[in-house]
Amino acid sequence: MILTPMIRAVFLCILTAAALPAQHGRYLSESKNAAIGDPQSIAAGAKLYATSCAGCHGPDGSGGRGPNLVRRSLWHPLSDEAIFAAIQKGVPGTDMPPTRLPDEETWKLVAFLHSMIGPASENKVPGDPAAGERIFRSRSTGCSNCHSIAGRGGRLGPDLTDIGGRPLGLIKDAVLKRSRDLSLAGSEGVTVKLKNGQVIEGVARNRSNYSLQMVDKSGTLHLFPMGSVSELKISERSIMPDDYAKRLSRKELDDLLAYLARQTSRRTN
Amino acid sequence: MHQWTAYFLLLTAPAAAQVSYQDIQKGPAQDWLTYAGSYGAWRYSPLKQITVNNARNLTAQWVYHVPNARGLRASPIVYKGVMYVTNTNSIYALDARTGRLIWQWLDTRANKQGVNRGAAILGDRVFFTSTDNYLNALDRQTGVLLFSRKFADADSGITSTSAPLIAGNKVIVGSAGGDSGMRGFLAALSPETGDEIWRTYTVPAKGEPGSESWSGLIEWGGGATWLSGAFDPSTDTLYWTTGNPWPDFAGQPRQGDNLYTCSLIAVDLATGKMKWHFQFTPHDTHDWDAQSWPVLIDTEWEGKPRKLVVHANRNGFFYVLDRVSGQFLHATQLIDKVTWAKGIDANGRPIAVPGQDPTPEGNWVCPSVKGATNWMGQSYNPITGLLYVLTLEQCGLYTSSSKTPEPMKNFAGGGATEEGGQVILRAIDPKTGKRAWEYPMTGLGRMWTGTVSTAGGVVFTGDDDGHMLALNAKTGAHLWHFNMGELLTASPITYEAGGKQYVAIASASAIFSFGLFEPAEPMIPPKVIFTK
Repeated sequence: MILTPMIRAVFLCILTAAALPAQHGRYLSESKNAAIGDPQSIAAGAKLYATSCAGCHGPDGSGGRGPNLVRRSLWHPLSDEAIFAAIQKGVPGTDMPPTRLPDEETWKLVAFLHSMIGPASENKVPGDPAAGERIFRSRSTGCSNCHSIAGRGGRLGPDLTDIGGRPLGLIKDAVLKRSRDLSLAGSEGVTVKLKNGQVIEGVARNRSNYSLQMVDKSGTLHLFPMGSVSELKISERSIMPDDYAKRLSRKELDDLLAYLARQTSRRTN
Repeated sequence: MHQWTAYFLLLTAPAAAQVSYQDIQKGPAQDWLTYAGSYGAWRYSPLKQITVNNARNLTAQWVYHVPNARGLRASPIVYKGVMYVTNTNSIYALDARTGRLIWQWLDTRANKQGVNRGAAILGDRVFFTSTDNYLNALDRQTGVLLFSRKFADADSGITSTSAPLIAGNKVIVGSAGGDSGMRGFLAALSPETGDEIWRTYTVPAKGEPGSESWSGLIEWGGGATWLSGAFDPSTDTLYWTTGNPWPDFAGQPRQGDNLYTCSLIAVDLATGKMKWHFQFTPHDTHDWDAQSWPVLIDTEWEGKPRKLVVHANRNGFFYVLDRVSGQFLHATQLIDKVTWAKGIDANGRPIAVPGQDPTPEGNWVCPSVKGATNWMGQSYNPITGLLYVLTLEQCGLYTSSSKTPEPMKNFAGGGATEEGGQVILRAIDPKTGKRAWEYPMTGLGRMWTGTVSTAGGVVFTGDDDGHMLALNAKTGAHLWHFNMGELLTASPITYEAGGKQYVAIASASAIFSFGLFEPAEPMIPPKVIFTK
């Protein structure tokens, strides 16, 4: 164990965001179809999804027999038109069948998917953002000890100022399921022992066989040639706590997500 | 819980190292804290590990390929072993010894693309602007966004390209877009919040003094401030150059001198009030923005100590002014091929040759639209007493359009060709304008590289063929070159990290850093332990 229980306890919240800085923002090429962004169409689409799609893609789009629709938006975002075509025509060579849904119904389904995999900041999210901010900054969750939003908060974890650019499902995953299968590059918990005996704990922003760039617990940056390091302990797991599902009530989670979903750099203007 | 509290206090403790305004004032040493190195815009470093005698042992130390970069314009800044480089709507913090990425921040909100010339640093904050006129402040160590604040409206034709300048407790930002119609300004913003402290327009409003120099189009007059400026802390005065009047090539709809375009303006730091102005090219019709660095030199002039500002202008002339009063003192020809003016008169006004304006069929005029020099940084070396200026001997065909000017429609009132030409690095005596030496280059006249010079007696620059060069600052003799393999569009800097002097420059797509050759020492790797 490279991190003491105390240190582990304070590495908090959504660590996975750092590995994918380029993914913030808009994932989709948007259609001008009137259903996109229309609450009634989205609600109708949600019903269609629950009856026709959830069996394979999961009730929350997290996958099953079919692919995880939310997560794939990170590595291969689709346009609304491409999703429309996949629903109507199916995907040849896979288990995804053509639906033969009329255009209007299909667009409702696309509208729902758009809201599920598009930026959380642009979609309606349940929960009270003001209460969510109190939770974010509370001692009991400690999110803001490590994460900063618009300059307020810790420096060790990824900056969440733009986190609302991600799909809500991914933000939720990051709170509850930590890093899951995502790369920890840029966020590895490390303990460095230098040849002069000094020991520093923190997060490796980057490392190679020849040099290490890390931020220590106080948010101070250190740059080491690897030749000056005698021992390097690397945590294979995210150093963010993984018990938020137990610690947060359903309402608290909704409130926290509502707050995070609203965070985009536009709001600092 | 108590442990967390204790740790939280640790987190909020002030970071030890901060960049102060006084640090920037001292000028470069190990660090390079502002675009031009020093407030006087000298691009001079006291570092002398690399000398005339050992520069031949220079070799590339590392390369960082900036994602998606095509034509980088940034001059890096360096603080405590970290280099900050910008590209369009993005900034990268690199380990200055290894070129490894520490953090990056991309403004995914930004809705305009354009070049970016670099970052500024103050306290624990790094600043740069997005193309659509947002000032972004980030934590220098972690890249955490502190604020992103809009200071101008892109819908009024304004974009942002220049590196901010820190002066006192202010962040000075400029404005670009003068080739399509806009109203240029300089603004001082708060480094804490991005709040505007003052704004000074470079083209007067109707009825204001100077507006009589416009027969029309004053609302869209241009005078962009798309390059950072110099600063004199002893008088709290900013020295900034202004761009062309709009439409660039059609003078008819805007008769008069078109103040304060193609000028140098002296601006009071506290209030933004213009102390004086000097217009190099009244009623410009050749797109000769004054964007080239004003260099501040204190020296003897006619037997008395005097605060001077010297300036190599795009219009083909080299100027010496008193920077306290703005009084014109002297001008000489910067390049050989100048056809539009016979010289500069005793008041500093060009003695224009008739018939040199753009015409519908085209008029062959020297210098070309790119100018005798441009925004590439010049270097002043106090040891040699010489100013190192990249110059371009090039002419072009200037055509005009009689179409009714429409702002923000990419209309410049005509156009100009750039044909042939040669880049020549010239070492100039800043008092007399006389050339001490020249270094002619091969190439297509397309480069935008400036110079840096050092106490080691070396001038570093890029050439017009994509080479990084080291030359003897006294004689101009070649010492070393390195083929970077692509067009160079930014100026070099020099810094020290881990006891070693580096020289860094952005090529079109990458940052290169050079240092003296040292044989590699086999690295004994640390013991690496993975924990669950």
